[in-house]
Amino acid sequence: MNVAEKKARIIEPETLIGKRIQKMDAPEKASGKTRYIHDINLSGQLYGKILRSGRIHALIKSIDTSAARALPGVHVVITAADIPDQRPIGVAKDHFPLKVGRVRSQRDEIAAVAAESEEIAEAALKLIKVEYEDLPVISNPEDAIKPGAALIHPEPHGADGTHLHLKQGMSIAHKGKPDNIAMRFDYVHGDVIQGEAESDVVIEDTFKLHYVTHCCMGVSGMIAEFDASGNLLMYSNTQVPFLHKREFAEYLNMDPARIRIIQPPIGGGFGSKLDIYPFEVICLYLARAAKRPVKMLFTREEEFLASPTRQPVLLTLRSGCKKDGTLTFRQVHTLHDNGAYTSWGATTPFVMMQTFSSLYRVPHCDYHTAAVYTNNPYAGSFRGYGNLQATFAIEQHMDMLAEKIGMDPLEFRLKNAQDAGETTGQGMSFKSCGFKDCLNTAAQRSDYSRKVKENTANRSKPGNIKRGIGMASMLHVGGGAKIYPSDGCGTILKLDDFANVTLITGASEIGQGSETVLSQLVCEELGLPISAITVVNNDTAITPWDVGVHASRTTFIAGNSAIGAAKKAKTKILAVAAKKYEAAESDLDLRGGFVIKAASGEVVVELSKLLRNLHFQDKAELVMTTFYYEPPSVHQDKGFKGDVSAAYAWGTQVVEVEVDTDTGQVRMTRVTGAHDVGRVLNRLGIEGQIEGGVIMGQGYALTEDLMIENGVMKNPNFRDYKLVTAPEIPEMDISFIESMDGEGPQGAKGVGEAPSICIAAATANAIANATGVRMFELPFTPEKVYRALHGQTPKLYWKPWRAE
Amino acid sequence: MTELKHYFAPTSLDQAVECLKDGDVTILAGGTDLTPQSQAGRIKIKHTLMNIRHIPQLSGITLEGTEIRIGALATITEIMEHPLVKEHLPVLIEACDHFASDQIRNAGTIGGNICNASPAGDTLIPLLVLDACVELASMPESKIYRHCMPLSTFFVGPGKTRKSLCELVTCVRIPLPAPGHVARFYKLGTRPALDISTISIGVGGTLKQGILSNARVAFGAVAPTPTRASQTEQALEGQRLDAATIDKVAAVARDEVKPIDDVRATAWYRKEMIHNITKRILSHVAQA
Ligand SMILES: Cc1cc2nc3c(=O)[nH]c(=O)nc-3n(C[C@H](O)[C@H](O)[C@H](O)COP(=O)(O)OP(=O)(O)OC[C@H]3O[C@@H](n4cnc5c(N)ncnc54)[C@H](O)[C@@H]3O)c2cc1C
Repeated sequence: MNVAEKKARIIEPETLIGKRIQKMDAPEKASGKTRYIHDINLSGQLYGKILRSGRIHALIKSIDTSAARALPGVHVVITAADIPDQRPIGVAKDHFPLKVGRVRSQRDEIAAVAAESEEIAEAALKLIKVEYEDLPVISNPEDAIKPGAALIHPEPHGADGTHLHLKQGMSIAHKGKPDNIAMRFDYVHGDVIQGEAESDVVIEDTFKLHYVTHCCMGVSGMIAEFDASGNLLMYSNTQVPFLHKREFAEYLNMDPARIRIIQPPIGGGFGSKLDIYPFEVICLYLARAAKRPVKMLFTREEEFLASPTRQPVLLTLRSGCKKDGTLTFRQVHTLHDNGAYTSWGATTPFVMMQTFSSLYRVPHCDYHTAAVYTNNPYAGSFRGYGNLQATFAIEQHMDMLAEKIGMDPLEFRLKNAQDAGETTGQGMSFKSCGFKDCLNTAAQRSDYSRKVKENTANRSKPGNIKRGIGMASMLHVGGGAKIYPSDGCGTILKLDDFANVTLITGASEIGQGSETVLSQLVCEELGLPISAITVVNNDTAITPWDVGVHASRTTFIAGNSAIGAAKKAKTKILAVAAKKYEAAESDLDLRGGFVIKAASGEVVVELSKLLRNLHFQDKAELVMTTFYYEPPSVHQDKGFKGDVSAAYAWGTQVVEVEVDTDTGQVRMTRVTGAHDVGRVLNRLGIEGQIEGGVIMGQGYALTEDLMIENGVMKNPNFRDYKLVTAPEIPEMDISFIESMDGEGPQGAKGVGEAPSICIAAATANAIANATGVRMFELPFTPEKVYRALHGQTPKLYWKPWRAE
Repeated sequence: MTELKHYFAPTSLDQAVECLKDGDVTILAGGTDLTPQSQAGRIKIKHTLMNIRHIPQLSGITLEGTEIRIGALATITEIMEHPLVKEHLPVLIEACDHFASDQIRNAGTIGGNICNASPAGDTLIPLLVLDACVELASMPESKIYRHCMPLSTFFVGPGKTRKSLCELVTCVRIPLPAPGHVARFYKLGTRPALDISTISIGVGGTLKQGILSNARVAFGAVAPTPTRASQTEQALEGQRLDAATIDKVAAVARDEVKPIDDVRATAWYRKEMIHNITKRILSHVAQA
């Protein structure tokens, strides 16, 4: 042994946390090689297409599919009559995939075809004859709650004696609903009457939030195939594979064990894949009937017509404070336009009430929502989940109250902002809370207080361009959300004989970068380079259970789960090494692909060599571990109280605008954001997440508007539905507040939804700062702004109303 | 899906106009209007789809005497980059600069923009201001027949022109602007790129010692066709562009247009914008 060889090799400490790590799917996507569901074709596959109503509200008198069935190349044509065991889908089970007896909105599914080609399927749709009898349309939620309003879901066995092919059932789809109220939420803490009595200033305003939709680049689609034994394989873009697998089993009346879901890479989710939609169930019916694989893809127009929207809301907010700037109470009434059927949009109050009750310290809070049926499109979940709407109202009122009492709006917010250690009236307990840091950082970096004053002074000066600055903050779940009895996620981890690790996780990758972050966390624990990992995350036959991608939960929940599995693997490896090299386990560590001495970094053995030894020894062993993480959060009680998330995320965004008073055009020039994310894991990923969220918020604030008139969508295309394009994207200055959450993976908290939440509210405040004019209705399109500037916008008022 | 019965790609003007004789032909240039419109079912492709992109006589941008000739196949990108256009017709570049996106500009042609006859067609407004003429070719007997028509009389309604089914647009001819000629274009939309005009305005004329003569004003998206605004032109003709005149002309412009409500804006807002932007453009011209 010569001297050089003897000299111990030292591995210096290194970390992956906080680094800029390229998303693992980036090279494939950037080079156009990713195979989306659109690129997958199975041999023998047929193409499914759906005939939609086109009518808004009508009885179906008859459907004649004979000509379509006779068309060469058509394999299957189905209507509700062909599926006697149809079960209702949706959050309130008020929705048959194929409509029975009546259509309630423009997108309603009447019939479906599976054919040899898309062209034949489309031609077949044109041959289907449907007779309707039109019914009065309810397109305004205020009309839906008027006494004597027509019912959207009356008892289906109508007096007209139509045969309705309904099996007995207890759901709304089977039994009807005697009023138009799909869901209601009533929450209270404290006593708002007392709060109002203690107030020096009280204001009340109505806010109106519009329809927007996700606009995923990849349109919706699915492929379904039953094998010869009747097992079902689905290629699906779902965000919730395990819960949906169980639901699909119910709809097909089959054993969930015989369903396997594979999730190909997805062309955008943002919440839109959180529910099961009629097209998915219809695709399964077609495949079952055809005994062939069936592929169904939306056209872009269908994507607009038949995708869920963000929840439109009419909201009246009453708020008060004392002269010294202490908030006293908040009273909120909202009318949610539920659309024709109930999806997750109706449940946005779960999130909205948190913002009203707990973003700031409010001693008294009273919150009521009625989600009412109309003949409009129905709303689903969408990044931010009601929080954009709630924040829009609250943060305008924060500015307005501050102005009334003559206080600096930043100071007013700081005075009422939550701190770590507090438990709110709603029972949310803030273990880590960087809210005040967010406020101060965003204000300082944007020079907020100086600009507010300067812009106000400039309002009356000549010139058509007015500058404005506005601020808004947000609170959102950052440690999962216990909306199901469990909020957990499972991990399987295996190391091979080259010390490569395979992470098998229940968490779905939907473009948010979860596989990269989870890989970082595992490699950090095992002292491996990021190149040593493979992630398997898209096959229910392989991956362990998880409740889905939603509520900004994946990094936190799946991250903790992955760390748990990695820790177990590490413990096992170190135990083996300790025994073999006669050291104490606690003196050893893993670093750079080696087992090392923790104190000195001195190499003990190469990890791959140790693993091979383990495999080839007499009593061979593998390093394979599993872990299941369940966060220490609780389900809310009946009064919606409880610590529903294991951690909470905070953020402040400052928006600067230039308003052209000649045209009403608003140019967003700069966004300064400060986000309490617990800890930055992948800096590149989190910056992308924030930038994308800001732009989504910008579209909500300024350009995007899904126009619905009498139930008819006026602009189901990208020409007239205006997404933000590159030249409009503002400069961004993003800061991260690292509050190091005690429960979070490496201290991190969820951030997926956060960046889109404040933009509309901050823009409203910026326009008010620029022009002195407050706007209560989105979006701030040039004409809307111009009208408001010229006194052409009647004051919006919706008299608070609550269901009996 | 569009079913094609017959596809023809002539390589000379003769072949093309001959093919057009029976009138049952749909002309394809860049396809940026034709494709979305036929896919949406708004227009039907006729018996023959004729791709005119291989006809050399339809391309190029040249100076012919006192006229600039822009071939029907010139793309928006080619126009923007051409030295003749840069030198003599900067207002056309202004319009091209607000036209769609790079991808569409590379495919979309000026002939297509003209024949699509959208009230919001962006090159049409500067072309009207520049007194452009459209050259049409047909084959009544066995020889090519060409004639020119002022663009100001070419449009009859949305998507409708005075071009007959047997005619092809070969080029636009634009007289070289006189010394002292000034012209401006402004397009208003919800966003700065990739938008259909809510309104657009073109103003031109010869400015000598502060006085504007040969005034031309054209508006887009406020009528069934892109139009010249004769009352506004009259109010402007021979005037010194001082604040009072500008106010007066802007008011005339507002009263002259009769726009409609649609998904992009209400009639009221369009009239307001015609007023405000006319005023803005004239102030810029006055300062030029
Ligand atoms: C995303 C997008 C954005 C757009 N943005 C804009 C915009 O900002 N501003 C704007 O003005 N337009 C816009 N357009 C419309 C379109 O791009 C333009 O009108 C373009 O100039 C059309 O040219 P083309 O060569 O593609 O025409 P084509 O689609 O090939 O033809 C259009 C019509 O003209 C006929 N035609 C074409 N050439 C001739 C000819 N030489 N003789 C006789 N008939 C002919 C065709 O038969 C057809 O009816 C946009 C289109 C898209 C898809």
